Amino acid sequence: MISFENVTKDYKGGTVAIRDMSLEIDKGEFVFLVGSSGSGKTTFIRLLLREEVPNHGRILVAGRDIANLSQWRIPYLRRNIGCVFQDFRLLPNKNVFENVAFALEVIGRPKHVIASQVPQILDLVGLSKKRDSLPGELSGGEQQRVAVARAFVNRPLILLADEPTGNLDPTTSQGIMRLLERINKTGTTVVIATHDSGIVDQMRRRVIELDHGTLVRDQARGVYGYGT
Amino acid sequence: MPVSFDYLARETASNLWRNRLMTIAAILTVAVSLSLVGTSLLLRQGVAHATTQWQHGVNVELFLKPSVSDAQRHSITQQVTQLPYVQSCLYRSKLYDYNEAKHLLSPDEAQSLSVGTTPSSLRCVLNNPSEAQAIAKQFNGYPGVRNVASPIQAIKTMESVTRVLQVVFLALALILLLSASVLILNTIRLAIFARRREVSVMKLVGATNWFIRVPFMFEGVIQGAAGAAVAAAVVVGVHLVLDALGNSKTANILYTMRVSTHEVITTTLVVLLVGVLIGSIGSALGIRRFLDT
Repeated sequence: MISFENVTKDYKGGTVAIRDMSLEIDKGEFVFLVGSSGSGKTTFIRLLLREEVPNHGRILVAGRDIANLSQWRIPYLRRNIGCVFQDFRLLPNKNVFENVAFALEVIGRPKHVIASQVPQILDLVGLSKKRDSLPGELSGGEQQRVAVARAFVNRPLILLADEPTGNLDPTTSQGIMRLLERINKTGTTVVIATHDSGIVDQMRRRVIELDHGTLVRDQARGVYGYGT
Repeated sequence: MPVSFDYLARETASNLWRNRLMTIAAILTVAVSLSLVGTSLLLRQGVAHATTQWQHGVNVELFLKPSVSDAQRHSITQQVTQLPYVQSCLYRSKLYDYNEAKHLLSPDEAQSLSVGTTPSSLRCVLNNPSEAQAIAKQFNGYPGVRNVASPIQAIKTMESVTRVLQVVFLALALILLLSASVLILNTIRLAIFARRREVSVMKLVGATNWFIRVPFMFEGVIQGAAGAAVAAAVVVGVHLVLDALGNSKTANILYTMRVSTHEVITTTLVVLLVGVLIGSIGSALGIRRFLDT
């Protein structure tokens, strides 16, 4: 599903964010991307979203080289990749339903599709009762659930999460992780960049560790730190 | 990528309302600059009319001395009409010229006139108006001729005056049009800046650039069109006022400069088109920076 082939990304001024990285992530995998701040996790995600273009190497998503994607095709790539962030990125003046519906609206889905899909996904994330609340009226965990609902409502092939639990307490974080696991069970590839060692150690999934832009570890059922 | 009309109307209306002060400024600037453009276009058409009317009319006037004898008059008439570049000549009596002069001059000046001292005149139409100089040369100082006048000079003066006016009008209009586009560009930028969260979410979930762009461009087009509509009203108003003045007896230069309804409609359409163009170009430039991924 995702394939990096000798990918290097450096920024002007000589900072190397990703150095000669090669890896494969298969369809339906659940992967943690770990490493300290500045290790290249965010660049990894930005490359996948085609917000950045690699200097060398190829990045294949669903068999297509996204570095050579023409400008007008980028939105169609992003429709296949749902994305969740630490700061939720909800629209504060739209309610829960509208925030999720917005994702379908802007890709031109007809009204009846929106009317049937949004309640379904709100049910999945457990927010059916809060569909008319504004983000400001929700707890952090609830807001992140709305963000996950928005990312997944279009049934993307891949779900990326950049520090999804960074702003949440451990219990709430576990709830979000269970939600992401459920989404993973529907066949969606899930990639989570995090430095929340608690959840990584607890879930024992594939762990990819970056350090200064280099892949230093790729472990099938890993933990956050070295060992095991 | 279908953009539903419902969505477009909703987004555009909320954008316009959020930036209403800037919107008004942009609309007014477009209105003022396009009014100038439209008026100068009308002026240009009017001048074209006036000058052609003069060119088809009398080109040269030979004023005869009040004391001219019939024999002299006959000989002058014969000589003038025989010139190859003279098309036709018309004799105007002292009385006719007196009445005309009274009409053209102010009452004070007219009082000093009398029929007896007014020159009679020969008014000639030339095949080629530029030959008026040759006639003047030949007949100035001729026995019985008081002086030879030709409105060519007047036409030339008027043409050069209006040409300067036009250049000034158009230069002003261009500067204003430029500032109108910049204002629209700025309004759109503010509108996008106010909604950068939404725009970034739209990009994140895979909205196409056109989908993001269209409501903002529509906003610019509406600003341009609204300004242009005001300007079109001004153009029509100017036309109606000039028309009314031209039809009253006092201002016969305006009468010669009258333009047809057809020309006014064309001018109005040009003004509207330019307004819409400015709006869309300004907004397209305003958005560009935000859509670079």
